[in-house]
Amino acid sequence: MYVAAKGGENAIQESEKLFHALKGKPSREMITAIQESLPYLVDRVMGEASLYAPELAALAIAQSGGDLYEAVLLLRAYRSTQPRLAYAEPVTPHRLFTIRRISASFKDIPGGQVLGPSLDYSHRILNVDILDGVVTPQPADQPVGEKMVSLTSLPDIDTNGASTPEKLASATYPYVAEWQRTAGLMKPIPHYEPRNAADIPDVTRDPALFPAPREHRLQALARADTGGVLALGYASMRGYGLIHPTVNELRLAHAEIEVKHPLTGETFSAGRARVSQAEVVTTGDKTGLTLGFAATLGWNEVKLIAAATLDLEMNQAEPHPAHTEEFVLYHTEPVESSGFCIHFKLPHYVTFASSLDNLRKVIATFYSNGNDEENAAELAPMTQRTP
Amino acid sequence: MTQLEALAKPREDYAFAFLDPFAKRELRRRMLKAIAIPGYQVPYASRELPIARGWGTGGLQVTLSLVGPDSIIKVIDQGADDSVNAANLRRFITRMSGAETTTDTLAATILQSRHRIPEEVMGEGQTLVLQVPDPEPLRAVQSDSSATHQMHADADYGQLWLVLYEQLVRYKQYLQGASYPSLVNKRYVISPSPIPRWDTPKLHQAAHLTLLSAGREKRLYAVPPYTDVYPLEFDDVPFQVEDQRGWEDRVTRVLNKFMNELPQADGSSQYEISDSGYAQKLTAHLRGETASIGATYYDDEGNFYKDGYLKPPVRPD
Repeated sequence: MYVAAKGGENAIQESEKLFHALKGKPSREMITAIQESLPYLVDRVMGEASLYAPELAALAIAQSGGDLYEAVLLLRAYRSTQPRLAYAEPVTPHRLFTIRRISASFKDIPGGQVLGPSLDYSHRILNVDILDGVVTPQPADQPVGEKMVSLTSLPDIDTNGASTPEKLASATYPYVAEWQRTAGLMKPIPHYEPRNAADIPDVTRDPALFPAPREHRLQALARADTGGVLALGYASMRGYGLIHPTVNELRLAHAEIEVKHPLTGETFSAGRARVSQAEVVTTGDKTGLTLGFAATLGWNEVKLIAAATLDLEMNQAEPHPAHTEEFVLYHTEPVESSGFCIHFKLPHYVTFASSLDNLRKVIATFYSNGNDEENAAELAPMTQRTP
Repeated sequence: MTQLEALAKPREDYAFAFLDPFAKRELRRRMLKAIAIPGYQVPYASRELPIARGWGTGGLQVTLSLVGPDSIIKVIDQGADDSVNAANLRRFITRMSGAETTTDTLAATILQSRHRIPEEVMGEGQTLVLQVPDPEPLRAVQSDSSATHQMHADADYGQLWLVLYEQLVRYKQYLQGASYPSLVNKRYVISPSPIPRWDTPKLHQAAHLTLLSAGREKRLYAVPPYTDVYPLEFDDVPFQVEDQRGWEDRVTRVLNKFMNELPQADGSSQYEISDSGYAQKLTAHLRGETASIGATYYDDEGNFYKDGYLKPPVRPD
């Protein structure tokens, strides 16, 4: 087989080698360490890649030297080739094993505020003692309740989603929005006929068209770039938006992923995934509370509050131009936005030459001091046979 | 006892040509639609590939769903086969399909390109795959793609004409650089990827098939063989290709091929033929080696191969 080998080909191979030589060499131990000690980073990558695979995400982070856009692309490119073996049963709110659940709408809510794991009220002070090898007791070293809780593994829960007694206080909580619906403050959830899972619109398998189906919008937000969603969401919150969001409920949970056995039809667990979701409400529409929603794989609170706010914005009749559905969904796509941004590193000298040609003509026409003859020469016929 | 391993198929990390059969089927169907409606932008799902988005993944998906073991692939970027990104895409295509590669335009069955159409006339049976960053010719006048969709449906191109008119009023000439908006089959205006104006006429009544694909924007469109393609121009102010008269290739001394301008330390410029495969053959020929040099779209005097298609410029007043 003949392969056109050129200087450029050697150059890119050497360049890649150098990149890998300048960073730590990924090892089995490193992958495990990333997976266990950086779960929020792993979650962010999994969420944006829309692939729940903590081990592969940790590998992607290690392989890309921590360049998150590269890590997300690695996972996405892997994901795009994987066959769809089965569709999971819907993950319903009542089946979530909730670890953290807070509401800003009310002081107390049915089931109670559950702070769960959070840095929200920590003092952001670098613990430099660690650098000196001094081991001082940290809040994290204290047992949580009766037992240490691991982010990466969960105590067993029975099939009803209830925790066994010695574990975390309560597995499931009612929804704040349920109370609001019962109280007549919010429209009831519209009734949907059950659908074949394979028929649900899938933003990774369908062409993107606007207005997008609700499914596409929520899927796109779920895999959106955290920073991108934050920037647009923050613009809304800061004053370019039409609504003031109230965090009705924010949840971090473990979801049981249940799949029907293809032969027996019996439901079994294919594993558990960290999931998070946010609901924000606004009283802007005086007919009742309106709700913005976002959910993603992994735990990523800042992204979801921003995304749920954008969900509300996108529903407005005339949102700010930066908050229309097309604007938000196109511009918060991590792989596409980062890829296009870095593509400007590629040579563009042909298109540049084409523009330069125009610029020179304009300069010759308007700004040159040359006499008419020179100008005429500049504009004499070229490259064309006269008809 | 039979080993389980013996019953299983050998492990294959990736499908032939990387894309799974469903993705290939979808792309082929979209391509057929694009060919049936010349110039119409067909939306497609656009899979993620192990290449950065915006680096030719649209063209690559088209190539990967067309490539077979007997294909001969040429990949160029800015006209050059040895450009790093072209090398990378070629390496990927051949790694995933085992297809042969070439730098000879005439030998290629599939030619994937970023920003150029080669100098040698492509023939029937050849497919040119152009990588497209932005498929939407109306983007500059309407950034909302739902609105542009409607405008294409209505053949509502008035704003593009207005842009050209404003350029004439302000600057006495058209100022569209590369990707000059062109009317395909008298119906749809396309953005012919950012190929220079030098290359735009090559699409007109071409013997080869051109597929244009934007992976990030998830749209593909086609110029089928022997289809009319006309750059937008007013009757009295003709469209002009880049003015490179007198630009002489520094090696072969050839004129009237699209040139790269190479700035020199002394403030002057040197030039080299942008189409590296063609330049390679010319050089070989000069050295007395055998090289099958094909007919070119522009002859040595700069005459375009279709008489009367390009009109002489009108002097701005």
